[in-house]
Amino acid sequence: MVSESGSTEPTAVESISSRFDLRLGANLYYFWEKKWFFIALLVGFVLLSFDPPEGLTRAGQIVLTMSIMATILFVTEPIPLPGVALLIIIGEVLLMGLESTEVAKSLMNDSVLFIMGSLMLAVAVVRQRLDKRIAWLIVRMTGTKTTRVCFGISIVSGVLASFIGEHTVAAMMLPVGILLVTLTSDDPKEVRSLAAVILFSISYGCSVAGIGTPSGGARNAIMIGYWKEFFYDPTNPETFVYLMDYAKWMLYAYPMFLIQVPIVTFILFVTFRPEHRDLSRAIVRLRAQVAEEGPMKAGEWVSIGLFFLVLLGWILFSQDLGMGTVAVSGAVAFLIAGLVRWEDINNGVNWGVVLLYAAAISLGVQMKDTGAAAWVAQSFLDALAPIGGGEGIGLWAAVSVLTTAITNMMSNGAAVAVLGPIVLNMADLAGESPIVVGFVCAVSSAFAYLTVVGTPACTIVYSSGFLKTTDFLVVGWKMVIASTIIMLTAAAVYWPLVGT
Amino acid sequence: MTQRTPDTEEPAEPGAVSAPEEKRFRILVCIDGSEESYRGLRYAARLGGGVDADICLLYVRPVDQGLRSGGLQVRVARENMLNWGLELPGIKHLEKGRDMLMRLASMEGDWDEETIHRDVQGDPLGDNATVYTNAQGKRLILKLKVASDIASGILEQWDQFKYDLIVLGASANWAPAPLSLWDPAVAEKVALYAPCSVLVARELEEGHGHLICTDGSERAQRAVEIDANIAARCNCSISLMSVALDQESLPEAQRNVAEARKLIESMGFEVKDSYTPVGSPIDEIIEQGQHFSLIVLSDTGKSALKRFFLGSVAVKVLEKANHSVMIVRETES
Repeated sequence: MVSESGSTEPTAVESISSRFDLRLGANLYYFWEKKWFFIALLVGFVLLSFDPPEGLTRAGQIVLTMSIMATILFVTEPIPLPGVALLIIIGEVLLMGLESTEVAKSLMNDSVLFIMGSLMLAVAVVRQRLDKRIAWLIVRMTGTKTTRVCFGISIVSGVLASFIGEHTVAAMMLPVGILLVTLTSDDPKEVRSLAAVILFSISYGCSVAGIGTPSGGARNAIMIGYWKEFFYDPTNPETFVYLMDYAKWMLYAYPMFLIQVPIVTFILFVTFRPEHRDLSRAIVRLRAQVAEEGPMKAGEWVSIGLFFLVLLGWILFSQDLGMGTVAVSGAVAFLIAGLVRWEDINNGVNWGVVLLYAAAISLGVQMKDTGAAAWVAQSFLDALAPIGGGEGIGLWAAVSVLTTAITNMMSNGAAVAVLGPIVLNMADLAGESPIVVGFVCAVSSAFAYLTVVGTPACTIVYSSGFLKTTDFLVVGWKMVIASTIIMLTAAAVYWPLVGT
Repeated sequence: MTQRTPDTEEPAEPGAVSAPEEKRFRILVCIDGSEESYRGLRYAARLGGGVDADICLLYVRPVDQGLRSGGLQVRVARENMLNWGLELPGIKHLEKGRDMLMRLASMEGDWDEETIHRDVQGDPLGDNATVYTNAQGKRLILKLKVASDIASGILEQWDQFKYDLIVLGASANWAPAPLSLWDPAVAEKVALYAPCSVLVARELEEGHGHLICTDGSERAQRAVEIDANIAARCNCSISLMSVALDQESLPEAQRNVAEARKLIESMGFEVKDSYTPVGSPIDEIIEQGQHFSLIVLSDTGKSALKRFFLGSVAVKVLEKANHSVMIVRETES
């Protein structure tokens, strides 16, 4: 077999080993690539060599140091992220002296089960290839004008994403978006702005919707878990408000999502000004493609039915059974119905993410147990008080800015897992409602519009190759401002009406 | 390029070593769809016009992975896209590059076409290449590669198939991602680490000749020799430059230029102009370089550690110049 160099190709093993010799020996490539790992180690070493500051226990100091190191590693990624999760587990045993079994137990709870279940469910749903049907449904409702199609894409993506999570919907809708773009023109240059508008309609539609329901994103499940873990006391009926149920969350958050959808379309069109105001050419061809599929098959009806059953399960039973159980039941139902193979699920889910969330939540719980979260919260409050961030809307804005900054640099679930204990303690110390501050944190974690890595939906649409990283900045800051204003208004005006 | 045939995937034959052919001039052109990268390609087409030159067009696609996408592997979506008949990103860019090359005079005639697929761990679609060979044995390769990041992909490609020259555009697409201060631009990273000459195209225009900068060192002399051969490939004129730090070292600079001139003339080529300004090397080189197609510098030969702490003229010029820069390095074998 002829290769590119004219001779046979080297095997993969050879090429890797030769690269290693070349770089490791010749120019420190290895250390350059991993520099942030060593910087994190150095930071950890320096921080631990001091005596704990006043009000912080030694254990608290260790947890805090580990959190700082983990954040550095989460953001810079010198080693694979699941490796960071494993280091957290090792650190909890070796540095903090916890029982190995205790650490292992702290890794699994309903939030983690929910993340696992919803990922399996996501693969099952995306595998059903309902994308063409959904695309057809959208354009039948909206007609052919670009603005209306984009609004339709955002609202449909959003409504679906608010229930089954943004990654599922972004993955399902991406082919639809690209198809509309490529059917309009073959030359990527000609449809650059159109591609940006359509693809961002998908990703931002999903992002603003992820806050809508507890199952919209792992971060929501994590916050619900923290409320229960930190404030719920079975013997005290006053603490029952901290058991957030599905409907109550929706009452708080769903209106915010609905208000944001038209704003998304508006911002996108003002920013990108697409070349094509009408998509009829693409839609005619889309119709031809959908017609080839023929009528809906039995399997497709069954999968839609299962999907709605899972939704009902979340709404009606998540309080008693846990959201994780419902998600896992849904995944298993797809397996039983034979609509998805285990191999597909196994290949389609990156299990490292489950590990990552588990370790981040475990670290968050340790932050609370050792008092580190309270100490950081107090320090933040002391720093914020002089600038008016010690209470009320100033505090909410501070929490929101902090969360937005962190979530743009790392996975939003991990951001909530690490920040949650701190901001909830801040609320407690400042005499604010932990529910409101928790909501502000969970909702702000969706404002990762600025970077490709911010939210799953952004990463997925970026993989299409049509977008530049700078596009996210150009349009993202407008989205951040709009979303922050809407959220703070809701916190000040709307949430008191529904009772906090 | 879309005729991916999963059933006929053949793993590379084990034990076979790719022996780079000594005499062929091999150019790796990295494209990303930007105008800059196609300008680099046009220049590469002139350099690689002869029968003894091969050109490989490379598009590096970041590997689809699910950690960033919230745990759902992007491949799940990718499979749906292929089901719709949508191509992978990059294929359009590669085809455009191929058509550009084919249009240029040297690429006329019949070409045999062969498609090669290589599995890559963690990506269902792997690396794909189409090799075009003409009757004289000249090869044109389109390669769609997956890698963890673009710079690593380019360097891996070099490791596998050893090139004499890497051409890439200083494209905005490859600028460091916003908010990631620790990630240098792709072009810079490749220029630092590639074990061969690297041409970074910026507003590259043909016909203004090469400006070779020398500091009189043995390494610089060698670079002069290498570049004289490259310049001869495209019939580009050669000018020489050596910067004196102060008046006292002016004679030394003049000596450097004279030596380089002697070397080039002994190879049978001409030197158009020579310059020996006094001042800061970086500023003078950038200033004078505006009038040329290319600024040619030799690799400093410092180790990576020293380069990291001390910086080097070559790297600084690469960072700051508004024009194309080529860093010349002896190709490692």
